[in-house]
Amino acid sequence: MGTAVERLTNLARAEDRFAAPHAELRNLQVEAMNERFQERKERIKLLAFRASEADLDAIRSLDDAVPLLFPHSAYKSYPERFLTDGKWDRLGKWLGTISPYPIAPIETSDVVDLDDWLARLEANGNYVSCSSGTTGKSAMLIASERDLDWSRTDTVGVFSWGSGVEPAQDRRMFGVGATVESPKNSTIRDAQAAAFGDPRFEPFRLPVPPITVGQLTKMVVLRKAMAEGTARPEEIADFEATSKEREATLEKAYVIAAERLIDARADKLFIASQWNALYTVAKLVREMGYSGDDFHPDNCIYVGGGLKRAQLPDDYKEFVHETFHIPANREFQNYSMQELNSGMPRCRGGGRYHVPPWIVPFALNEDGDALLAHGDGEIEGRAGFFDLALDGRWGGVITGDKVSIDFGPCACGNAGPSIRDDIVRYADLKGDDKIGCAGTVDAYVRGLA
Amino acid sequence: MSTIDITEDVIRVDHFVRGKVVPGGAVEYRSRDLGVAFATPEIDLDELVTPRSELPPLLDVKVDEIIDFLVACGERLVLDENVYLQEALEHIVATNPLPRRVVENLFRRAQDFLTTEGLRCSIETNFANAAALDGWVERVDLHGNHGALRAFPPRMIHMLAGNSPTGCISSIAQGALVKAINVFKMPSSDPFTCVAMLRTMAEVDPDHPVVQSMSAVYWRGGDERIERTLYRPQYFDKIVAWGGGDAINNVIQYLGPGLQMVSFDPKTSISMIGPDGFASDAVIDEIAEAAATDVAVFNQEACLASRFLFVEGDRDGIEKFCERLQQRLGVDRDTASEFAHPLPAETREEIEMLQLMDDDYKVWGKTDGRGLVILTDEPVDFHPSNKTANVVHVDSLDDAVRYVNVATQTIGMYPPETKQAMRDRLASAGAQRVVRLGGAAKHVMGGPHDAMFPLQRFVHWMSDEDA
Repeated sequence: MGTAVERLTNLARAEDRFAAPHAELRNLQVEAMNERFQERKERIKLLAFRASEADLDAIRSLDDAVPLLFPHSAYKSYPERFLTDGKWDRLGKWLGTISPYPIAPIETSDVVDLDDWLARLEANGNYVSCSSGTTGKSAMLIASERDLDWSRTDTVGVFSWGSGVEPAQDRRMFGVGATVESPKNSTIRDAQAAAFGDPRFEPFRLPVPPITVGQLTKMVVLRKAMAEGTARPEEIADFEATSKEREATLEKAYVIAAERLIDARADKLFIASQWNALYTVAKLVREMGYSGDDFHPDNCIYVGGGLKRAQLPDDYKEFVHETFHIPANREFQNYSMQELNSGMPRCRGGGRYHVPPWIVPFALNEDGDALLAHGDGEIEGRAGFFDLALDGRWGGVITGDKVSIDFGPCACGNAGPSIRDDIVRYADLKGDDKIGCAGTVDAYVRGLA
Repeated sequence: MSTIDITEDVIRVDHFVRGKVVPGGAVEYRSRDLGVAFATPEIDLDELVTPRSELPPLLDVKVDEIIDFLVACGERLVLDENVYLQEALEHIVATNPLPRRVVENLFRRAQDFLTTEGLRCSIETNFANAAALDGWVERVDLHGNHGALRAFPPRMIHMLAGNSPTGCISSIAQGALVKAINVFKMPSSDPFTCVAMLRTMAEVDPDHPVVQSMSAVYWRGGDERIERTLYRPQYFDKIVAWGGGDAINNVIQYLGPGLQMVSFDPKTSISMIGPDGFASDAVIDEIAEAAATDVAVFNQEACLASRFLFVEGDRDGIEKFCERLQQRLGVDRDTASEFAHPLPAETREEIEMLQLMDDDYKVWGKTDGRGLVILTDEPVDFHPSNKTANVVHVDSLDDAVRYVNVATQTIGMYPPETKQAMRDRLASAGAQRVVRLGGAAKHVMGGPHDAMFPLQRFVHWMSDEDA
């Protein structure tokens, strides 16, 4: 039988993995969370702290797990000065409070920048993927080799299930987005190429210098210096000039991507990107006189990330789909977040995101500190998840998202829990009506938004 | 959220437009901080704008008479007798994070804003020749050219701050003293006090030109229909705005020739304590109490509340100070309650983490809003709030100057002589006010605000020249 965790994660290979009703899995999921808790509570300092604050020695119910879910902010709770002042030892120590595995000591006296530090950690098997915060702090998500292995399989399974595309190595791969380099991103990219890519063709990648977290961090550092008044005018001017150059390079790269896509239009394509890049490239393709029927009728797109504040016309999805001849039944959407390691693909029959058996969904109150009554129907609240597959960090997170979870069956025929396709961030729901005389120097920094 | 109870009571918010009460109930909103539902009347935009063909009602009313009227109104601001204030109080406690007793105390002190001495003092410090407010003042230049000058009444929109309910009293007084035609845009955390004040004034004399010059309304900040329409130089000369971020950015887009902003910017206040402060237990007790007064004021919702305390001196003494400070933060005061709201989740997270990192940090108290002291050797990243003090141990107070910036408002200092020694450097770094430790909320009457004298910036300086 194996452990509860194994029994649930082993379902990853099952065709009908979204079919089991939540009620059937609930007890097993609680048991599995408790297994994770028992093996991790002494090893993850922050978990131990939370458990002692909540006076918990075991997870016996969904309610028990709530105080043990980490807010998404836990992964950026390090003092920013560690990063801006290059205090790598301290940052390593911080990482140690959220990692179940000891962070092997590394030589930090000659670390040049964040990228260098991350590379040294990686050499020791500590894979840290950073989010790309430019004005705020980057989240640092530590993962193990096993997590990357899991990602490799999960990303293929999620895409295949959600889009109906078989991993048959019969597509030309086009990465047309500018993504930040991270262990997680490159693992996913390579796994998709291996599963869906036609080995006769070299995958296309947007010809821009790799964007690293270290580069993004320079913005954070500069912003801080601007706020403190220590940034020199020439420094700011230089930075703005570099940003302009990057933008110009990116614009040229999009043109090249459009040309190469047109060249490959007779072949079956797998296009991976974010919506704003996809839209830009689609527009260029149309300007060059191609769209729809010019492309292969069985193309597919893999879209990562949200809109990231990009302003696109209302019909951007249709525009992209039509341009590249993506059939209606190939539309793919996935709900996940960097804190988790598994995806929740949207079904084509009901248009809802499906929660796999190894992710435990929680509908919480807005504050994220209490479980709402879970019945058989749909319930709206702040989403919390426990990803039982996670190995290199704690699997429980409270998200910033307001979701509607249905514990009953979906129109697509699957009986497992599913989430309605109208997810919003609580942060976006707040008004702008707060006026007071108290505030910080952040309000005095212009640019670098 | 999922648990919105649609049967809950919706608070009625009345507007006050040029001397008349407009009963609320038509348009429903939710307060920003606590999510309470309230309903205002529909706004009639025409009513809010006085055409420039009409002279301001206060033009020919003498400043002395305005002051007398304001003082007479101030005398009615007695919480136990004033039903408008009583009603406002009941509503504010639902929409505002400040505890009831603090709001009560603020209302009990409301009169202090409207004293003859205080009002006269701000006129005198703001204007070289206050007579220019009451009429045309003759002047002659070095070449013998004659002219006359008048501080002509402006048309103003005041975007009121929401963190101190009685702040609107100063705004009303300022608007009256410069004889302006005023529209007060109330905040969602308190769409009550300003109307309560104006109703009190209307009871003193409903036809008084001060009352006829005042309107107080609520709309959601950023509402384009209203702001795009109203914020025009043909209608208004000045927008007085508190705060930063979205609130200010909204206004900025409408500024241009003829429509200026006078901004009271978002500020952070700090304290600086030299080695003398940790010399003996008796002194430590004394400065801990003084520092706690400055940190806890308005439960740290105000700009003048200290958040970072830079300290130089003996480590044992500093730790003793932190312990005492934490205890004193939990004291119930006139302007602070024993418990503020608990700290925001993200801040709690960072503080938990600091505790897990052990060595470099020391924490006294909990994140429950009863007072928390964090001792570090560099300021923390987050904005300390809800009665949280970040005590930063520096080698020398000179090192703390680099943490003073354009957002620094008040600096409470101990011993007081430190002010003289450091005030030029602090001003150069951007600070605006140095006070004795414990004196952040005490003021010398008629002083500048935000490093300026606002009244002289409000008025329309009209010149008559015979050169």
